[in-house]
This record gives sequence, structure tokens and C-alpha cells, in this order.
Amino acid sequence: MSRILGKEGSEVLLLGNEAIARGAIEAGIGFASAYPGTPSTEIVETLAGVAKKLGIYVEWSANEKVALEAAYAASLSGVRALAAMKHVGLNVAADAFMSIAYTGVRSGLLIISAEDPSMWSSQNEQDNRYYGLLAKVPVFEPYTPQEAKDMALYAFDFSEKFEHPVLMTPTTRVSHTRGPVRLGRLRNPTRKGFFKRDIERFTLIPAHARVRRKILVEKWERITDAVSDVPFNRIEGDGKTLIVASGISYAYVREVLNLMKLNDVRLLKLGTPVPLPRGLALKALDGVERVLVVEELEPVVEMQLKALANEEGFSVKVHGKDYVGYEGEMTLERAYSAISEFLGLGRGTPWKPSKASLEEVPELPPRPPAMCPGCPHRATFYVLRRAVNSLRLKPVYSGDIGCYALGVMPPFQQQDIILEMGGSVGTANGFGQVLEGQIPIAIIGDSTFFHAGLPALVNAVYNRSPMLVLVMDNRVTAMTGEQPDPGTGLNAVGEPAPAIKIEEVAKGIGVEKVVVFDPYDTKEAFKALREALEYIIKERKPAVAVAKRACALLIDRMARRRGIRTPKYQVKLDACTACGVCYNAFTCPAISVRDDGKAYILEDLCTGCGVCAQICPFNAIVKVEEGDKEWEDLWF
Amino acid sequence: MGRPMVLKSLNMVVSGVGGQGLITLASLLAGSAVESGTKALVAETHGLSQRGGSVEVHVRLGDVIAPLVPKGGADLILGLELIETSRTAYYLKENGCILTSDMLLRPGIPNVKMPKREELINFLKKVTDKVYVVPASEMAEKVGGSIFINSVMLGALAATGLLNGLVDINILEKNVRGLRMGEKNLEAFKLGFDYCSRGRCSCR
Repeated sequence: MSRILGKEGSEVLLLGNEAIARGAIEAGIGFASAYPGTPSTEIVETLAGVAKKLGIYVEWSANEKVALEAAYAASLSGVRALAAMKHVGLNVAADAFMSIAYTGVRSGLLIISAEDPSMWSSQNEQDNRYYGLLAKVPVFEPYTPQEAKDMALYAFDFSEKFEHPVLMTPTTRVSHTRGPVRLGRLRNPTRKGFFKRDIERFTLIPAHARVRRKILVEKWERITDAVSDVPFNRIEGDGKTLIVASGISYAYVREVLNLMKLNDVRLLKLGTPVPLPRGLALKALDGVERVLVVEELEPVVEMQLKALANEEGFSVKVHGKDYVGYEGEMTLERAYSAISEFLGLGRGTPWKPSKASLEEVPELPPRPPAMCPGCPHRATFYVLRRAVNSLRLKPVYSGDIGCYALGVMPPFQQQDIILEMGGSVGTANGFGQVLEGQIPIAIIGDSTFFHAGLPALVNAVYNRSPMLVLVMDNRVTAMTGEQPDPGTGLNAVGEPAPAIKIEEVAKGIGVEKVVVFDPYDTKEAFKALREALEYIIKERKPAVAVAKRACALLIDRMARRRGIRTPKYQVKLDACTACGVCYNAFTCPAISVRDDGKAYILEDLCTGCGVCAQICPFNAIVKVEEGDKEWEDLWF
Repeated sequence: MGRPMVLKSLNMVVSGVGGQGLITLASLLAGSAVESGTKALVAETHGLSQRGGSVEVHVRLGDVIAPLVPKGGADLILGLELIETSRTAYYLKENGCILTSDMLLRPGIPNVKMPKREELINFLKKVTDKVYVVPASEMAEKVGGSIFINSVMLGALAATGLLNGLVDINILEKNVRGLRMGEKNLEAFKLGFDYCSRGRCSCR
């Protein structure tokens, strides 16, 4: 973490997200909030790591909407604030986002939406620059970690100058690229503030909102003029051909133009795609004969540039997606081939994989991400299937966003729907009302439950929708790197915090049947799940089952770091019949196969959970060494 | 031996299995490059990679602007596991170099048909003449377990000469020592280095 607080003028290798955190620190922020989500998580994780040292406030919020609302309040009170989220998180925060544009802000407010072209870890690749156009909020789009840091710093001043929020949209290849960053001056943060009331501005009743709407439109005009002077926008080179590149696309286009040794191209580099810097764009358009816009995702710049060219009477045709295409992230090949074709030089690129590497590849087994060795979710899925089958039920599994989404993979395939955060319980409400002969089983994690599952469960109780809500409570937000959540008992900076119990929440809102079990005890788990399912069939009301066992990855890491020995298991080869239950039906990555089909345990990977020993039909897996007593105490 | 050629830039793809320490390896290499005064970019796709899936990390050193290596544009594939090395072979440019660990890991999915080690190595040899299979599993085991494979392979890379003029090997060694379990990692690094030293893994 010391790199983050490195001294002014030094150059260090930083992850794009760390660079954004550094920029915010250089801007003197006093408040940061986020809900974890790839590729945005490290921004607030980095700030949490230095929060105590800097004396700033950092929190993991229950969801993105709360994160943004809280950061907004800090800004209104005179404290510079940041709210970070992944792109789909802004959908959750959109209600607040739209209205914040109406009231504006006081101290700088930076909202970061980390975009994910190619959907490396997301369910869609929506382009949130549209949110900027929708709400009239300026959008900053960096192309390197260095620029991301500089932009974050700049954005706070910009936000304060216009008393307006700023949205920054780094894409995965900025957020998750490490690059050299020259550090700037650290500023002392302002952590405490004072809220001065201004009822006509901050209470958006219709009469006030109408006035604010007019102010917003005027402000947008001023911002549109001002972005031409933002240092992240510039024109490079000159010629009759104009290429416009926004955000990370600039890095690819610049490298391609250097490679092609094209000196007669005018390049408009954009760091603020929204609003299109009018003055600078007009200068770029002046006298050119052809225009190509290179940007990822949607034609946000292309559309604005076409409108501007039309308005100002330019006859030049603006190209973009017709050459560049929509889907996936930018690459050198894609930029090269689009530019080459646009210039009439054909679609080829100078890079050629060898023929053998494309045509003579042996059959390679796929290696999708899998639940980790010892993952409690694996045990829960395994037992759930058996409980459902024992009652001859026809389940509809509505899944959710988290590690347990991996339950969609073979051999489990216990996710029929995965939509968005909280969608498991939400869709189960509809299924519960219309299905006959099938039973909805909503599978949701602890963090996701607090995030957006809760209102849907309230709905289920209120409207008496029969469903099993199975909360796979591994005590943390595991998928994004084991951040604490409202159920963990820790806050973002590692201090003890109230641990909200999901079973008590469920009882509190009126769920009559609530069972809690430890997935590492497969008999107990089977019994609990059966009991809950039988209740739903009989009573036609919702039931909640909480599978409670901490993330094995987290506990195993703690054990290794502290030198605590975990229990050891082995396969008794004389008892093993090579049936494959442990490696084909349970598929623990710590269990491998010998040439004769018998199983063996990879000691390096085994966490000592012991579930395989319980599910082996021949009792061939046995404990050969007890773990240290402290190992049991690590689980919380 | 002629005058050592110094590359203006080095494009590499590091591939392996989530959990093998690819990101640690790549960040350490890139951090050492920056300390040596060389521009470095590391593009990683994680989030899911920690969960035992295929991982590829792009490392670009020197005169570069964009983070991703084009397919057919890599000078080197640094593989930590043979299936994954094979899966990413199309990134290699013609006559590029493949430096791979001999580790073979069964994916955690049902009814896997595992390819044979020889089959994979033969394929890699069709891709390029410069294929070096480092007995990294055994070396890592000697040091203390498969978690040291990344340091073995980093050592092997350091001995190829590809880093000449881009990364100061002393700085690299210093940073390997600075890792958790630094001495063990350094031991692994040296085993890999010795294996590939004296032109035995010549990528030039």
C-alpha cells in the first residue's frame, strides 16, 4: 500500500484502479463509498487500505444506490467524495444519479463507473457514457493508469467549479492494466463538513425541480463550452483525414498510426466523450475530407459528431461503427483493420499467428472458472440436488450474481436464470405465482441478499409467493475478493461492525420457516433443506434456508499465512472403486484421477473441508491427520 | 556470441491457471521494468481467474502504448501450465519463443479427456522451433511446492536474454526476494535461471 502514498514526482507501477484512488487522494477526498464489482473494486479497496492513515472515511455500502446517495451527502456538506461501482451498478444508482444532476453538488463529487467491454466479468456491456447524455453529467474516459490518476484529480476541481457531478468511465483495460504513474502532490483531506440548507435547491418537489431543470440546461451549455479546454482532449498531427478516438481507443489508434507511419492524419484524442467538446471538434472537422470515429461499445461520440457536423453544415461523412463494429473491447488488430479499410488499404493486419497454432491445436479440455477447493457452495449444490430429488420436485433455479453463479457449470447446472443483482428472489416471486408442478428455488449470496434481495423477499412474504430462498452465506462478498459485507462483522477498514444475521432479518419480515445449516455437514444440510421444501409444498408460502460457512479461499489463505495446519485427507486405494463421484459429480479441484480411474487428493490444493469423505459411497476418503485446533476457530 | 541485441519492445503473453501466481509474476516483472526506467504495461483479466480458470496476462515492455498484445504479435509465450500454453500459442509471432513449465493440471470439470504431455509439446514444436520446456514442477517441489512455479519460470525468462536492455536483472532479483517467502522464491528463481542460462533457452 505504500506505493499509493508514494512521494510526489516518483514513478511507480500502479493498477488503473489504484491510480484513480491516488488521484482522489491528491484531490483531498474525505469520503469514499462503493459496492464491490469487477472491474471497479480496487478503487475503494485501495482507499480502505490507507483510510486510517489518511484520516478519511471509506465504506463498503449495501448497494450502489446507497453508495452514491451517501457520497452526495458528503459533497453537499463540503467534503470531497467519490462513489465507485461497476457499470451495471450505475443502473442500481440511476435514480439518485438522474436527480443529483438537477440539484448539482457542492464539494467535488466523482462517480466512477468501471465499464466492461467484452464482458470479462459481467452480464452485459452497456455503455454508461449514455448515462452522461441522459442525465447531463460530463463523462471523463481515461486511456492509461496515468491519465486515470490525472483525470480523477482534475475531475474534482471541474465538479466543484460547475457545482455538478462528474462521471468517469474507465474500461477494464484501464482499470485492470498496470502501468507507470508519475505521482503528484498529496493534499490534506477534509473529512468533516457542515450542511447549509437550501430548500429550493435540494428538495426536488415539482415546483423546485422545474426551476432546477432550467438551470441544468443552462449549465450543460457552459460545460459543453468548457470541455474544449480540458487537457485530456487534444488534436495531434494534421491532414485531410480525421480520426477521432475516445478513451482507451486512443492508445490503440495512436500505436496503429505510428506503426503505419501515417503522418498525414489529424487525430482528435478525446478524454471527455460527453459532452463532445464543441469548439475543439469544430476545429478538428475544419477542412477534412473523411472522418472515422474509433470508440468501444456504442457510437456515443460518433452520434454527437454527426449531429454537430450536420448542424454546422459540414458535408463530410462521419464513419465509425460501420468500420469499427460494436461488440467487445478494442484491440490492436481491430483498430488496425478498421483504419486500414477506412483508408482503402484493405482489412489486413501485420500480425500473423503461425498456421500450426491455428490449425493443428490438439483437443484441449476447457478450463472454466470453478468453485474453489473446499467451497461451501459446492457442498450446498450437491446436497440441494439430492434433497430436491428425494421429494421428486421439479425445481426452477433462479440464480444470482456471485460465486454461486458457477453452479451453472456442469455437473451442477443448478441455475436456470441469472439476470442481475437480486434477480433470483425477484423472478421467484413471479414463478411462485404462476408455476404449477414446479417449485422456484432462488439462490443468492449474503452480500447480494443485502444488496437487492431484501425488497424481493419482502414482496414474497407480502404476496405469499411460494419459493425457497436459499442464501449461500459465505460471510463475505467473495467473487470480488472477499470484501466484508453487512453480515460479516467487519467494516471496510477492518474494524468490528455489527453483523446482521440473515436468518433474523428473514424472521423479522415475517418468513415463518427459516432454517440454518452448515454445508460442511451434509446430513444436517439435507435434513434442513428437505424440511424447508416440505413446508413450502404444504403451506404455499416462502421459506428461507441459510447455508452458513465462510469462503474457503479466505480461510485457507488465513491458515497458510498464520502457519496453521489444516486437516489432511487421503484416498484409500484398496477401498476406492473408481466410481468417480468425487471427481465427476462433486468435482472438487483438489481431487484428481489416476490412470486406473481411482481418485487421489492434491495436498497443495486441499483445504481439509472433509465433504468428499462424507459423500464417498465407499468410505474410501479418510482423514489421516487432524488440523490444528486454531483452524476451527478461523471459521466465522 | 555476437553483440547482444536489445529489443525496442517486448510483447509477451503469460498464461496458466488461476491461482498459479501469474499476476504476481507479471506485476513483479513490470514493476522491475519501471524501476529499470522502462515503460511497462500489464493487462490482466481477473475477477473470475482466481477460481481456477484459464488466465492470460499480457505484458508489454518498452516502446508501447496500448495494453493488449495482438494475436500473432507476441515475442514470447511464458506458460505456467502446458494446456494453457497450448491454448495461447496463437498469440505467438512467427519464429517467436515459447518458454513453458512442464506442469499439467486437470481442469475441475466432469469427465475430462486429458491430452498427453508429448502431444502438447509436439504441437508447440510445430508452432515454433524455439520451444523450451522447463522441468518447473520438480524444481518448485524441491523448493517447497507448486506455488513456486511462477518464480522458477521468471528465473527461466531472465536467463533467455529477452529482458536485456529492458529490465535490470539485479532489480528483478531484489524484487523476487521482496516477495512473501522471499528466500524460497529467490531459490526457485535461481533454479529456473540456471536451467536456462548459457544459451540453453535461446530466444534470440
